[in-house]
Amino acid sequence: MRVLVIEDDPDLREMVAKYFSDEGFVVDSAAEGEQGLYMATEYPLDLAIVDLGLPKVSGVDIVKQVRKKGCAYPILILTARDGWESKVAGLEAGADDYVVKPFHKEELMARARALVRRTGGWASSRLESGPVSLDTAAKSVTLNGAPIELTAYEYRLLEYLLLHAGKVVSKSTLTEHLYSEDMERDSNVIEVFVRRLRTKLDPEDSLHPIETLRGQGYRWMLPRTPA
Amino acid sequence: MVSLQTRLLLAATAVLLLFTVLCAAGLESAFQQAALRAEEDRLRGIVYGLLGAAEADAAGALELNDGDLPEQRLMRHESGLEAAIYDQAGKPVWRSPSQSGALPVVIGPEVGKWKFERLGEAGRFALTFGLRWLVGDKPTRYTVLVLEDSAAYEEQLATFRRTLRLWLAAAAAGLLVALVLVLRWGLGPIRRLVRELRGVETGTQGQIDAPYPRELTPLTGALNAMIRSERSQLQRYRNALGDLAHSLKTPLAVLRGLVSDPQLSGEPRRQLDEQVARMQQIADHQLSRAATAGRRALSQPVAVQPIAEKLAMAMKKVYADKHLHFDLAVAPRLQARVDPGDLHELLGNTLDNAAKWARAHVLLRAGRSGSALEFVVEDDGRGFPENPERLLERGARADTRVPGQGLGLASVNDIVQAYEGTIALERSEALRGARVVLRIPAA
Repeated sequence: MRVLVIEDDPDLREMVAKYFSDEGFVVDSAAEGEQGLYMATEYPLDLAIVDLGLPKVSGVDIVKQVRKKGCAYPILILTARDGWESKVAGLEAGADDYVVKPFHKEELMARARALVRRTGGWASSRLESGPVSLDTAAKSVTLNGAPIELTAYEYRLLEYLLLHAGKVVSKSTLTEHLYSEDMERDSNVIEVFVRRLRTKLDPEDSLHPIETLRGQGYRWMLPRTPA
Repeated sequence: MVSLQTRLLLAATAVLLLFTVLCAAGLESAFQQAALRAEEDRLRGIVYGLLGAAEADAAGALELNDGDLPEQRLMRHESGLEAAIYDQAGKPVWRSPSQSGALPVVIGPEVGKWKFERLGEAGRFALTFGLRWLVGDKPTRYTVLVLEDSAAYEEQLATFRRTLRLWLAAAAAGLLVALVLVLRWGLGPIRRLVRELRGVETGTQGQIDAPYPRELTPLTGALNAMIRSERSQLQRYRNALGDLAHSLKTPLAVLRGLVSDPQLSGEPRRQLDEQVARMQQIADHQLSRAATAGRRALSQPVAVQPIAEKLAMAMKKVYADKHLHFDLAVAPRLQARVDPGDLHELLGNTLDNAAKWARAHVLLRAGRSGSALEFVVEDDGRGFPENPERLLERGARADTRVPGQGLGLASVNDIVQAYEGTIALERSEALRGARVVLRIPAA
């Protein structure tokens, strides 16, 4: 998952960025509106956190511009003005939810996760597909009810595939959304992780949860279990 | 205080009455003078006629032929016109045939002088003329007297007076009517201005719109500027509060983040968290109270429906997981004389509270109830707990607060109080959940 944090206060920006990187997100951050707007429209994002009270370009304007450019990823606004007029302005501009400052880490992360999975069409924080169940809040995975040990990267890959279940996800998309800029981007790494996931989720090679489409990417094949 | 129109009308009526009375007196006096003058002239003519007809014999006695008399009436008995000629001793030497009764004693004027007077009790005009006549070689002194009854003169004067008064009264009445019409026309712009101001006050219009005469434009301009400045001042004030909130709450958010640091644990963490929560609540409470505009004399009316729709849209997004159904029954074209920021807070907090507890359904009804504006928000949640009134009290202490509930309603209560309205927390009959009724007096 790749998230952009636009917040002018350096301490708060760093803190929010850390919250997300601790949860396995790839984090981009911007201190002011213009840079934020550039990143928000040019980067392949899964989520953006936008402070409404930014200097120069306001948060509401950023949200409007992002939506105008056709970017559909969820946007969570941070507001200090807890007046409904400003919240409504942000939501009307195209934001999906708001969190009022000061917030608890748990509240912010719960809202952010909910937005991401809602965008993938999942109603509950537990993503269930066939015998596989991934709990986004607890960051745990079970197969037929038995817990499975996954590394951080394997977990991220599985979460991304599940959130985009039924859709083809290219290797480059996976690299962009799962690894930060400074990591070496080797598409072979993705292949290695996919192979390991297959082994852990389908030890008997009977389930075939991940399909490989040559030259296109991967697709999660198991049906979603309705919540 | 007597109205402007009544003042002007009273003053103008007094001036008009005074003018009419003086005018009547002046005209009557002038007419009387002219009539007296005419009378005297006529009598003089008769005197000249008499003198022309008179002849003196050698003995000094005067003789007048009846046929030579200048006026027929002198011949007729009781015609009202009489004449006589007196000698030096004041003894009448000739009387006109019309003369009857006693002749007045005449003290003749000097020779060549006229004397015109009114003989009081008899009501007659008398003209006397003194002359000297050469009888033979001897100059003899005579006095000629002509008397005329004043009835005709009085009649003429009375007729004139009647006519004059009738016309003057008619003219005064006409002028008064014209004056009333002129006043109504002249004061029209002031009446219109008062109507417009009342419109601004009751919220049917935003500012003074109609064109006004040059004398009033500085006033209407100043009024509009005042209305605008009051509104923009509130906006500036709110912006300043917003900036304050932002600069206060960002460090609070950092503090709150530091509190959740896993290195911090146990009692210090709990205490810090409590203090941060307390600071947050105080800031929230004071900022929202300060931002409440409350009732203002010249507030602009706001349409309720668009705000309700926007808020419902916002709630649907925020509570997307619950797939809530919002039923809005807002009277079309319903306008509220409530500050838009306050209306957002009132409906936003009430709807947010309902959406938080609702299972699937939230209902908002807005309309007029008598002279008040009524908002009813219902949900199908579990309803209010016992003694719901305590949800309306906002303590400064965080630990008295029911988690996730009450803070919004307390803020709603503050705003309702600022508008001298009422809030009732009830049970919803229709949806079996909570029901909040807000009533705001219309003016």
